[in-house]
Amino acid sequence: MAHREAGADYLQILVVTAPFRKRVRLVCLLALCASGLSFLLSCQRAHGGAARSKKMIILGVDGLDPDLLTKFMAEGKMPNFARLAGEGSFRRLTTSIPPQSPVAWSNLITGMNAGGHGIFDFIHRDPKTFQLYFSTSKVEGPKHSFHLGSWVIPLGSGSAEQLRHGKAFWEILDEQSVPNYVYRIPANFPPITAKGKTLSGMGTPDLRGTYGTFTFYTDDPTAAVGAIEGGEIVQVDVKNNRVTTNLIGPDNSFRKNSPPATEPFTVDVDPLEPVARIGLQDQQFVLKEGEWSGWVPVEFQLMPVIGNVKGICRFYLKQTHPRFQLYVSPINIDPENPALPISTPTSYSKDLAKQIGEFHTQGIAEDTKALTAGVLDDKEYLEQAHTVLAEHRRAFDVEFPKFHQGLFFFYFSSLDLNGHMMWRLTDPQSPAYDAALAAQYGGALEEFYEQIDQVLGEVLPKVDNNTTLLVLSDHGFAPYRHSFNLNTWLLNHGYITRKEGASGDPNEPFSDVDWSRTRAYGLGLNGLYLNIRGREREGIVEPGAQADALLSEIRQKLLDVRDPKDGSQVITRIDFASEAYQGPYARTGPDALVGYNRGYRAGWKTILGAFPPDVLEDNTNAWSGDHCMDFTKVPGVLLSNRKIAAQAPALTDIAPTILSEFGIAKTKDMMGQSVFQSR
Amino acid sequence: MTALYNPTAGYAAALAAFSWLTSPLAIVIALSLVVGLLMVVLFGYTSDQKAIGIAKDQLKAHLLAVRLYRDQIPVVMGSYGKILRGTGRYLKLAFKPLLYVIVPITLLMVQVDRYLGQTPIAVNAPFLLTVHTTTGEALNDAALELPPEITMTAPPVHVVAENEVVWRLAGAKGGRYALKIGAGGQSVEKAVCVGGDLPRISTVRLRGKFWERMFSSAEPAIPGDSPIESISINYPDRDIAVAGYEMNWIWMFFVLSMVAGFVFKELLGIQI
Repeated sequence: MAHREAGADYLQILVVTAPFRKRVRLVCLLALCASGLSFLLSCQRAHGGAARSKKMIILGVDGLDPDLLTKFMAEGKMPNFARLAGEGSFRRLTTSIPPQSPVAWSNLITGMNAGGHGIFDFIHRDPKTFQLYFSTSKVEGPKHSFHLGSWVIPLGSGSAEQLRHGKAFWEILDEQSVPNYVYRIPANFPPITAKGKTLSGMGTPDLRGTYGTFTFYTDDPTAAVGAIEGGEIVQVDVKNNRVTTNLIGPDNSFRKNSPPATEPFTVDVDPLEPVARIGLQDQQFVLKEGEWSGWVPVEFQLMPVIGNVKGICRFYLKQTHPRFQLYVSPINIDPENPALPISTPTSYSKDLAKQIGEFHTQGIAEDTKALTAGVLDDKEYLEQAHTVLAEHRRAFDVEFPKFHQGLFFFYFSSLDLNGHMMWRLTDPQSPAYDAALAAQYGGALEEFYEQIDQVLGEVLPKVDNNTTLLVLSDHGFAPYRHSFNLNTWLLNHGYITRKEGASGDPNEPFSDVDWSRTRAYGLGLNGLYLNIRGREREGIVEPGAQADALLSEIRQKLLDVRDPKDGSQVITRIDFASEAYQGPYARTGPDALVGYNRGYRAGWKTILGAFPPDVLEDNTNAWSGDHCMDFTKVPGVLLSNRKIAAQAPALTDIAPTILSEFGIAKTKDMMGQSVFQSR
Repeated sequence: MTALYNPTAGYAAALAAFSWLTSPLAIVIALSLVVGLLMVVLFGYTSDQKAIGIAKDQLKAHLLAVRLYRDQIPVVMGSYGKILRGTGRYLKLAFKPLLYVIVPITLLMVQVDRYLGQTPIAVNAPFLLTVHTTTGEALNDAALELPPEITMTAPPVHVVAENEVVWRLAGAKGGRYALKIGAGGQSVEKAVCVGGDLPRISTVRLRGKFWERMFSSAEPAIPGDSPIESISINYPDRDIAVAGYEMNWIWMFFVLSMVAGFVFKELLGIQI
């Protein structure tokens, strides 16, 4: 019986195992095929294996100028750059048209010019509405909502969208499984999906959705209260040695008419000593006059329970007596609790903050507007600017030792922003030159250059035979001594017509412009647009031959403009979009790009469509160095430990170079080629 | 009275048992397990287990009746009434043993919070010493005497409207230091902890205010005739990171000790 039972079990096993055996055979066959395929693939990989194990380090130094670099190297102030240039290569790097950072870095990122990536300026316009917007990103609230009393209840969530087109080089590296790290590269907000760690840089807004809005609190009755460029002046009362006021946060879209969200804070000023205690939410800190706080977290309540956003800001107690003056930095997105995406993976900004402390997340971190407005003086501005570089260096010191494979890209903003602000103290011809300030701070820009040299000094020992090092900048620098008001010039020459009896504020964008009699207008730092029929809302210029003839006419007249003071040519180059750009977006930007001579640039007001009275003005602004000019006059730099074969490398060559170093073919849209290949 | 805000020998011995643990997270986990077990055992000893068992069985029976006879409204309504009465009876039975459990646990939590609630002041990091006086004269008179390891990094801020004076200080070296505050001819000390992993921290020293002192201060009361009402230090709150989330130790302790309690209740067969 037992035998029968055992036999029955055996039969049962056979019944079960017969198909099972077939399955096993099938599985074995599949496994064999898979291993064969895997072997073939591994052979394929082995072919490119050497390239995959390669290392590439790129230091992207915004605004590193070839002439200044050459001078400082010759003076022995940048020994590491001198060593790299001596043992490797040093070339001038052709910049973008126009030579503006968002455009230039987009050229570098995609290997295409603006016709391919669609970024032509810091600001773009909607030709139908003439609404201006940031060129690189768009942050929108929810599309639908309903009102409940004074509340606006959103139906859905908002979105942040990057407007740069084309594939970024690190996307392609991701696809080919090349590890990569990309720190604060401009024109990458919100950061595109990436496998590696990335942190967004220039283009990242502050919590108020601007490129940075500081607040200045004062009891000075003569202060011009209200919004100014890049900031806001708030009048306060000092009662019983106490100031009670509000920190101004983002617009609250949960409330009707979106008033700004605010958080109250108090400042208790000592009756005698130049010191004060500041209380914000559950935090208290003491500042002496002339002292900066660390990062202070702040939470704005937009809607009870569900709608809070967190930011960080720094306080600077400028004066306690006799006048109260307190500066509060733009409120940055809190890297530990980002209200908008600023890194990949999302947790990376938090991880970095844990390691190096809170840091500026705003794209343009140096508060140049506060210096321009006189809210911060040179000493105070430089303290803030050094803090920014110190943060970058702390991040570098944390991340660089972790780099062992693939690509490491690290961006520094300091030479650009401080080149803009400190140029006047190195240029006695600048209308903003001040001999006393120059004696004090004339070496400030040089100090920033020296710090970048120190960073390179940390990199060089890690560069081995298997490592390619690139140090590059997006553009160089030039003095900005005089402003050219393009729209005023167009108005004076009959290309823009204002309405009869125009009474609107000439400082308002295109105030009282009669578009039915306007043929061309200026917008942005280098943009010249025609009022094209069918494209602009009230376009009158026929596209084609009429438009081409008009552009040629304006070009010739602009090239003929001379500075009445010394006869200098103001504009040395005008590029037509049809010639300068290739790609699907080539005709969506300006029709021509105005290239100013060294020393000249578009005036601040004309950039936004205003009409200051004079065509040419002296630039007495602290923003005294610039690069938004004739692109041939402000090239960037390219240094490498390897021999650069290209005699005139360009920004659009960098993405193909990166891919080539990892054995990856460039995409068909990329314009350039590896700088290490002879042409 | 001092025993209420200073650890008793028993508590100190209990806490010393965990001194081998250096991570706050490990301490909270270990403490939660032990407290969960003790809660269940104490509840078992101090409660009428048989009566609680009957009360719970009756509740279950009435709940079952609601489900079984849902088409018979009078039965359902009657059952609801019995559920309400049964719940009241159960809570009455649980109240006394819960008291036995809650009181020592609260006192234990107050003591543990001294170690886990705040982090010590980091070396060279600024911190604020805030002294609240009874009168404006005492405020003007207030003076601070510091040990050599502690330095003043800004002049004091006198907040006249609140009779407060605030000093910004920093510690150059780790350790426990006494800060002497003089006012009205008297001197009062306040301890500050700089550096270290898990020192016992007292954020405030108070005059009077028995209950507040018991829950928030770990230092003896300021003498009743002193013109100083309180002396506080803004120690940073300590958060414990678990799986990417940071939280105060009390939340973690609450959850973990409850989970431990439910596990031990099953293992020990104790009715709760």
